[in-house]
This record gives sequence, structure tokens and C-alpha cells, in this order.
Amino acid sequence: MGFRDKLLDFKRRLSDRKMYSIVVVAIAAVAIWGLYQYKHAAQLRQQLDNQYNRAFYDMAGYVNNVEVLLMKSLITASPVKTAAILQEAWRQANLAQANLGQLPVSQPILANTAKFLTQVGDFSYALNNKEMQGQPLSDKEYSTIEKLYGFAVSLGKSLGKLQEELAEGRIKWGELQQKGPSIFRRTSSNLTMQQFENIDKTFQEYPTLIYDGPFSDHIAMTKPQGLTGDQVSVEEAKERVRNFFDKNKIKSIDYVDKTETEPFKTYNFRVSFKDGEDGEEALVSVTQKGGHVLWMLRDRPVGITTIDVDKAKAMGKKFLEDHGFNNMKDTYYLKEDNTAVINYAYSQDGVIVYPDLIKVKIALDNGEVVGFEAKSYLSSHTQRNLPAPGISMEEARAKINPRLEILDSGLAVIPTNFKTEIFAYEFKGRLNGKDFIVYINAENGREEDVLMILDTPNGILTM
Amino acid sequence: MLRREGNAIKVFKCTAIIILLLLAFSSTFPWDVPYIAPVSPDLGPGSAGEAVMDLQQRLKNWGYYYSGDVSGFYDEDTKEAVKKYQEVKGLNPDGIAGEETLMAMGMGHVIRSFSAYAQNSSRISDEQLLARAINGEARGEPYEGQVAVGAVIINRTKDPKFPKTIAGVIYQPGAFTAVSDGQINVPIDPKSTVVKAARDALNGWDPTNGCIYYWNPATATSKWIWSRKIVKKIGKHYFGK
Repeated sequence: MGFRDKLLDFKRRLSDRKMYSIVVVAIAAVAIWGLYQYKHAAQLRQQLDNQYNRAFYDMAGYVNNVEVLLMKSLITASPVKTAAILQEAWRQANLAQANLGQLPVSQPILANTAKFLTQVGDFSYALNNKEMQGQPLSDKEYSTIEKLYGFAVSLGKSLGKLQEELAEGRIKWGELQQKGPSIFRRTSSNLTMQQFENIDKTFQEYPTLIYDGPFSDHIAMTKPQGLTGDQVSVEEAKERVRNFFDKNKIKSIDYVDKTETEPFKTYNFRVSFKDGEDGEEALVSVTQKGGHVLWMLRDRPVGITTIDVDKAKAMGKKFLEDHGFNNMKDTYYLKEDNTAVINYAYSQDGVIVYPDLIKVKIALDNGEVVGFEAKSYLSSHTQRNLPAPGISMEEARAKINPRLEILDSGLAVIPTNFKTEIFAYEFKGRLNGKDFIVYINAENGREEDVLMILDTPNGILTM
Repeated sequence: MLRREGNAIKVFKCTAIIILLLLAFSSTFPWDVPYIAPVSPDLGPGSAGEAVMDLQQRLKNWGYYYSGDVSGFYDEDTKEAVKKYQEVKGLNPDGIAGEETLMAMGMGHVIRSFSAYAQNSSRISDEQLLARAINGEARGEPYEGQVAVGAVIINRTKDPKFPKTIAGVIYQPGAFTAVSDGQINVPIDPKSTVVKAARDALNGWDPTNGCIYYWNPATATSKWIWSRKIVKKIGKHYFGK
């Protein structure tokens, strides 16, 4: 029976009363269902619009507050008040940034605005810390605040304009997201998009900001200290790769490509092994300068654990020594999927230098090294001029909360999150059944950091 | 006549099946009502685990369980504390934390009758979230490419132009197609390497050398992304700064 006949047959049967009512009921049911879905979708769209509006209005409000607070910080004279104001500016800038991240505007369009808000917050926080330690702000810092204030004023103005346009319905969030036919997109959505692009234009000619914070511009510019040696050729780098593994196990080493980005320009290799299947190769990046192995990673299924963590720690240490990394001390580890990732820090005359960190990943089935990561080590390793401590161990100990029962102590160099280092006493202690590490600055006795240790079955983590 | 009767029933059956199918595939049909149920089956002496810890912490906070540790083991002290709580709240003081007691303590969670993934309502940590994002974005990619996608997300949290948390970066509107189209919610295949890749990325391995963008040249629509400097190509993705 052809399709046409079927259709005719269906039409004939429709004239049957019973059949007719069944079809009507079916159509009605589908229609009701469709209506329900439509209403539901409209409701969700509205909810989303409300969320976007909320994020936008909140952000505009926070930016206004930042503007006012920066102004105030220029005027107040007492360090305590300045610190309080800067702390509030930090909080408000963070809130503004968080809300900005929720707007349905693709990231590059507001990239500079986001960077401005992050840095205003970060900079305020760094200054707040400085003020709290009793150091007054320098003229240079005041002039930076003034500059940032200027940008905040302009940003506030642009946002005010956009707010008006939103309120009057001239631009709509929906237009930003809809992936309709491109012909419509070009006309309507671009208008809304352009308005946001205009906002970001506020931050042309934005100054380079350098201060003690994790988002300071100097971080991207620092030169790696541990990257010693001369430029090496691909062949030389390949030789380094060969020496990095057990020579008898290597099947072949293939040069893949090179990466030409600062701070670590690398040659990249793929190593296959005699005992490995396809897809179980190791990838190795070797720096073009000095031929150091930056990282190595081998993905292979790891069998049942036969090696305990202590043995793995010793094997990792032996591996490091065999490759020229002497005086490395294991600090923390993490056990997952029958592998252990062990952190080793450089130890200089008994002082643990935490910034010089190498991670070694060991397969616990046969003790093979399946991962190696030395970015931190190559970034910061150098022989340091460690001064004699300005205060004694006993003096430092007296600065610690007496409720903490001290189990171990020593000297260490710890990193800040803005690429500087602090020379400190390290105290390991216990309170309420929880383990802590407290760092006391060895030069001035300031309490620098407190870490909580989570000793889980899978390893030791710090928080 | 007989034949026609049979056909009508067949048509009716077909329509009914179609409607049912439509409803089953729609996640929003009206009678999928979410309801609240206790987070665990009844807890009593001998029970152990995270739910017991939660229970003990709550009882301790409220001053019913001042004697014991938050150990995760349902011991005599815990039983006494539960009994005391039940007496005060007018529940049957049997020392066993059943449905009524757990609900009174606020230890309930939402269940949807028709949703398959409702059972896995455990806490989503950074690791799991990252693994889901990698799963959605780079399931079919080589291992290195999966670690690279994770590394890009982590690199973004350290860049002033992006949100500062992993969740903030992943859920930034329009940032990842896998989030916009729901691919991020696709269950992770137990044999997949994405969880391992997420861990390696969190542990600091970065095959991209600090990249904060990546795109698939076959599907990328944004002209802007092409103006980025290409640093590396892994699998189907280009990575850039």
C-alpha cells in the first residue's frame, strides 16, 4: 500500500465517529502539553533575565562604592582608617568582579574591565596589609590610587548609561545570547554588544600595576631563576630525554614540536616504550635554554599497589639524585589511583626552601616514575643568601598561641602568592586533634601563615 | 468492519505511545514533583560513615552530644544524645535516628522521582567539577589534550581577566560550549581518563605552558579567537594566550 493510499485510508477512518474523537483528544493533549512547555520556557527566560539584571545592577552599585572608597582613601590621614577603607574597597571590587563574571557577555569583550576590578581589589588588599603593619603609603602608591580612582569614575559613568538603556528596554540580554539567523544578529545583538565594548574601551592605556599581590603585573614578567645554561639544539634536548628514562626500556623518541612562549620555551617529545601499548607514551617538555626537563607525563593503566608510600618516597628521591637534583626533601604527598604524587622541596643547609618544588608521580605497581613537574623549581631555584635569623627559636616560639602543642620545629623559606619569599621558623603542632603548621618570620617575628594539615588516608594535604 | 475496529485500536495505541514518549523525554513534565527525603537510611548503633558524622556534629552544635567525638561511629554516647534530642522534640525516644528524626534535624535532600542522576547528590568538589568540564569539552581527545583543557581552566583562575574560582570560570556565561549546551552534565564513563586528567591538572601539570584559551578550528565561530597567538596544537584543539 502506497503512502497516498494510506493517507486516504486514514481519512476514511477519520470519518468514523470513535476514531474522530480519539484524534481530537490526542491533538488537544499535545496542544495543552505544548502550551505548558511554552509557558514554562517563557518563565525560565524571564528568570534568567532577572538574574542578569540583578548581576548588572549589583555590579554597577559595587563599582560606585569602589569609586567612593578610593576617593576616601586619598583623604583619610590615620593609617587605621585608611586600612579599613582599603579593606572595604577590596571587598566591593571582588563582589563587582564576581557579578561581572555572571553577565552573558563573552569574556574578551569585558576582559579589561575584569582585569581592572581584580587589580583594584588586589591592590587595595596589598595596601591594607601594609597599613595594618603600620607602614604608611608612599607617594607612588597614592598616585596609583588616584589613577585607579579616575578609571573607576569613567567606568561608573559608562555603567550608568548602560543601566538607563537597560531600564528603558533599548537593549536586552536575550539579544546577546540568541543564536538566531545571523542576519538578525548583525542588527540587534551587535548594538548591545557594542555598548559593552564601549565600556571596555574605558581601560585603554591602562597603567602597569606592580604591588604585593597575586594579580600584580610583575608576576608575568619575572624571569625564571632556575633556568640556567645555554641554548640547546633539538638533538641535545633529545639526548636529555633519553637520559631521563631507563634506556633499555625506550623504543623510540619522537620530536613533536616546540613551544615559543615565555617564560619557558620548550621542545616537546613523545617517548614510546617497549613495555607500553599504543597511547601509553610519555610526553616530555625540555626547555630550550639549558635543556632542563620541565615536565613529563605518562598515562598508562597502573596495576595493584605493591609499593608503600615510604618506599615510593625513597624511590623518588633516588630518581631525583640520579638526575642531578641533590638535597631534595619530601614534604607532602597525595595517593590516587595506585599512584603517588610526592612533593620534594630543596633543602639548603637544613633550611627547607618550599618555592623550589618538584613533583614526582610514581606508579605504585612497579615504582616507575610516570610524572615529573619542575616548573616551580625552575622558576625559583637559586643558591640563596640566607641571613642569620633576627630572633631566636625560643623568641619565635613565644609568639605562637600557647594552646598549640608543638611537635616539631625548623627553619624554612616559604613563598608568598606574589612571587616573593619569606624566611621563617616553621612549627608543626597540634590543637583539638588537628595538626597545624605555623610560620613565624625569622627576621621580625611576625606571624606569617597558619596551615591546617589534613591527614587523609590518601595523603597529607595542607589548607 | 472487524478490520477497521482493529486499526482504530492500533492508531489509538500509537498515539498514546507517542504522547507518553514525548512526556518521558521532557524533563519538565508537570508530575515530576521533587520531594525531600532523609539523606540516609535509618541510623542506629553500629552505623558508621559520613552521615553519622553529620549527625554527631549537629547534636554537638546543639548541646545534646557534649561527651563524645565526631567520630563517624554510632556508639552508646551518640544513641543517648539522639534519645535526648528526641525527647525534647517530642519524637519517639528510641535512640535510633529514623526518617522522622533525620528530617527534624534538617538532614534531608531533594529527590526527583524520574531523574536518574538524583541519587548521586554528593558534594561536587573542584576535582569532580573539573573532570565534568573536561568530559564535556574533550572526551574524545588524547590524554594530553584532556589535561591541557583542565590546565586552561586552572590558568584562568590565576588570570586577572577571569573569575577567580574553578566554578566561576567554568560557569562563566558563554565561556565553554559544553556548559551552554549541557554536555557538562553527561555522566562520566567509568573507563574514561578525565578524572585522572583533572587530578594531574590540579596537581600542576600544564601541557599548554600557561595558555588561557583553546578552540577547535573546525567549529570555532568567533573571529576574535583566531586573532590569538597559537601556542600549541593538541588533538583537535588549538591552545593560545
